[in-house]
Amino acid sequence: MQQTSDNRYRLRARTFTCMGTVISLTVPADTQKAPGAAEEELEAATAVVERLFTELDATFSLYRPDSEASRLARGELVLHDASAQMRARYEEAAGWRLLTEGAFTPERPDGALDLSGLVKGHAIKEAGTSLRALGLADWCVNAGGDVLVSGSPTPGSGESWRAGIVDPADRRTLLAGFPLGGAAPEGSGSGAFASDGGGKAALATSGSAERGDHIWSVAAGASEFRQVSVAAADVVTADVLATAIVAGGTPVLHRATALWDIEVLAVRRGGDLLATPGFRR
Amino acid sequence: MRARAAVSAALASAGILLAGWQSGVHVADTRSVVAAASTGNAAESSSELGTSGTSGTSGTSGSSGTGASGAAGSAGTGSAGAAAKAGGTYDGDVVQTRFGTVQVQITVKAGAITDVTALKLTDHEGRSVQISNYAAPILRSEVLQAQSADVQTVGGATVTSDAYLTSLQAALDAANL
Amino acid sequence: MNTQLSPRLGTDDPRNPGSGPPAGTAARPRFAVRHRRRLLRADALTVAAWGSLAASVSLWLADGGTAAISTVASGVTALGIVAGLAGMDLVLLMLLLAARIPLIDGAVGHDRALEFHRRLGKPSLYLLLAHGILIAVGYGMAEGLDPVSEAVALWVLVPDMWLAFVSLALFIAVVVTSLVAVRRRFPYEFWYLVHLLTYAAVLTSLPHQFSVGGLFAEGTWQRWYWIAICAATGAALLCYRVIQPLVATFRHQLTVERVTAEAPGVISVEMSGLQLRALEGSGGRFFIWRFLAPGLWWHPHPFSLSAEPMVLGNDGRGLLRITVRNLGRGTAQLAALRPGTKVAVEGPYGLFSSAARSRDRVVLIGAGIGITPLRALLERTPFAPGQATVLLRGHSDQELYLGDEILELCRRRGATLFHLTGPRDPGAPGSWLPAAWHVAGYALTDYVPDIADADVYVCGPTAWAGNVLSAARSAGVREDQLHYERFDW
Repeated sequence: MQQTSDNRYRLRARTFTCMGTVISLTVPADTQKAPGAAEEELEAATAVVERLFTELDATFSLYRPDSEASRLARGELVLHDASAQMRARYEEAAGWRLLTEGAFTPERPDGALDLSGLVKGHAIKEAGTSLRALGLADWCVNAGGDVLVSGSPTPGSGESWRAGIVDPADRRTLLAGFPLGGAAPEGSGSGAFASDGGGKAALATSGSAERGDHIWSVAAGASEFRQVSVAAADVVTADVLATAIVAGGTPVLHRATALWDIEVLAVRRGGDLLATPGFRR
Repeated sequence: MRARAAVSAALASAGILLAGWQSGVHVADTRSVVAAASTGNAAESSSELGTSGTSGTSGTSGSSGTGASGAAGSAGTGSAGAAAKAGGTYDGDVVQTRFGTVQVQITVKAGAITDVTALKLTDHEGRSVQISNYAAPILRSEVLQAQSADVQTVGGATVTSDAYLTSLQAALDAANL
Repeated sequence: MNTQLSPRLGTDDPRNPGSGPPAGTAARPRFAVRHRRRLLRADALTVAAWGSLAASVSLWLADGGTAAISTVASGVTALGIVAGLAGMDLVLLMLLLAARIPLIDGAVGHDRALEFHRRLGKPSLYLLLAHGILIAVGYGMAEGLDPVSEAVALWVLVPDMWLAFVSLALFIAVVVTSLVAVRRRFPYEFWYLVHLLTYAAVLTSLPHQFSVGGLFAEGTWQRWYWIAICAATGAALLCYRVIQPLVATFRHQLTVERVTAEAPGVISVEMSGLQLRALEGSGGRFFIWRFLAPGLWWHPHPFSLSAEPMVLGNDGRGLLRITVRNLGRGTAQLAALRPGTKVAVEGPYGLFSSAARSRDRVVLIGAGIGITPLRALLERTPFAPGQATVLLRGHSDQELYLGDEILELCRRRGATLFHLTGPRDPGAPGSWLPAAWHVAGYALTDYVPDIADADVYVCGPTAWAGNVLSAARSAGVREDQLHYERFDW
């Protein structure tokens, strides 16, 4: 049974570059259909996702001097006069700052507005909405290591997507795996207290590479965690909490696991692991 | 006089450096409290875990105890320390947090902590609940394993698109092209 | 030739030690206590300076810096961070040393402060260079990039980093041009403009320290400490280099009264002003003058007073005098100063005054234009008749500027005066005496037998002053009894 379904569907992937990283869209293609049709469908879906990412990047990138975010950061534009989506993201970020008690913040240490911690997650979420609107039920979006899935790699089987998490000490090997999506339909509620049951659809990983850690740690000095992966029902929650735990350390980790329905795998600076039961064998 | 300046400057500098180093060690210590728990002494670790499990309330020493500690009705920290070498399950301090009352339970075998569970005694509504979701120290061999040949996507903190080029995800994408 | 012309004046023979001690023991505490206090202040400042350097490293240690070192890359990065912290601390110390803070000036003297300032130049540059290179190498290793690509990535990707690169380039420019300027004797104006770049270098280095440096992240006490020392340095510069001069200028309302020729190429400028009583006792100390005339106003001139301020009325109205030798284009223009020209003033600075005294006996040794601050000092510095000796060195009697005034002062106050005139001995570059006297075997102790128990003030050309100082040291004068002002920049 498994064997036949494996043979019927073959995974196809498309990638594009945006927001300083590479975004991959992977879908199971039905080999029993005409090969051209599946191909076309994937191309079209990729184009939609790419346009969405590109538009968000054009608005929110701090590396583009002409973006709305850059003008805000330079003080040429005040938040009050900014676009509705800029204000919405800011509001969302401010909400997360409250919920994480400051570990996640829309401001850089120098005070400049920086929504990039939120924008990638938001873009992935929007991409997911678009893909569903296109009628696609089974897909996996991976944007620079943050993953959102829907359905299953073998449609109809209820099988989960299997995600690997890279080992920060050796990026060529995997530290752990985690099943995403699959059997139970993705929880309808994606709020902070989403109900139990059902595979989590999103996995976000935040790390402190040597440079990153020197730059962004909010608490005093170097981050306690080298890498933190958070699985949650929705990708923004996963992304924000992973960032917040890296920035805020153990206190934020415990707060996050107590408040949200998430699974966490954290790698300490020395290589020791902390994990919630969902990451246990 | 120059000698006096040199000696006092050397002493002052040494003192300042020592103080910095000392407080740095302290920072490193508090950061690795939970990590230490997996190997450390049970009596000390249980109290530290009790506080570290409280989502950031300032650390109180376990030996100081709280009124609630007795109310927990299980072995206090002191007795846990004495019995720790023998093995068994021990309850740490009960600590009030903004999320409710929290207590940490540790399992000790042959003097080493083998499991840590956080018990949340009450939530905000006063109901007694157990926290099922608590990030505890875990060995690498205990986490869900995955082989790169076996996964369909790879998560990780990719810093730049340059990093992608050599990543496992790139290999997967190329295979599925 | 002039050997016989040197007048020896004085109420008693300085070779007779019997006259000294009685007056000395009575007056000693006055100088001794003040002197001890001054040395204590100087030592405290030394300790504070080293302490601040230790503190800059300690900041990093307190942050758990050593615990973060796990790989070669993080070790290199950590070294880079420490180098940056120490380098910035030295730069701040340099700024403080050059800020003309009264506490520092009063403890070690302005020239000594500037000497430390100069000495810190190269170490701080090396540390800042090491900071840039080590960080690029450390990050590069962590990310698998070569240092150059990493530096480019830092420049392009990390906010405020391009400013840090600009800052480093400015620091290199400032230190290199300063070293070259000193060696090649560039005009003072060039040196001055280059130093203005230092402020740009420091200011451009600040953003990345606070935005990129994880050590100074928001909410850490390290951030507050660093902000505090940066702000304090800025405030000291603003206060003592901008506000204090403005206050002094408006307070004293100096105006050029007359310009008189003292000797060929030497002029005295007399200025009238208000509230000069506040400046009494500053004879010999130097001020920085700006003559507010077209083409001159922007050029600051450091000159010592060549006479005590002369206070003429109860309201502090009075006269100041400086005596200047034509040394460069800037000073040549001073001869053409018109009466009525307004003068901006900063000061007084330096320890070339009675404040530096530690003993009852005093010896004043001057050459050339360096004689003039001694003349001002001689007027007021406390000594009993017979306890002061003045040695004036010049090519000829005409070069003993203000010689008549000094002769008169010595006569009135009971000081011993020697005129040491004649060409120097080309065969003895280490000698401070005229050739004939050097050949005859004279030494410092022949003029001042009890010099080991005296304060020795030396003022003159650098090389000559150096010779006098080593002669004094070999005569048993201790370092804290030696007072000299360097006039080169």
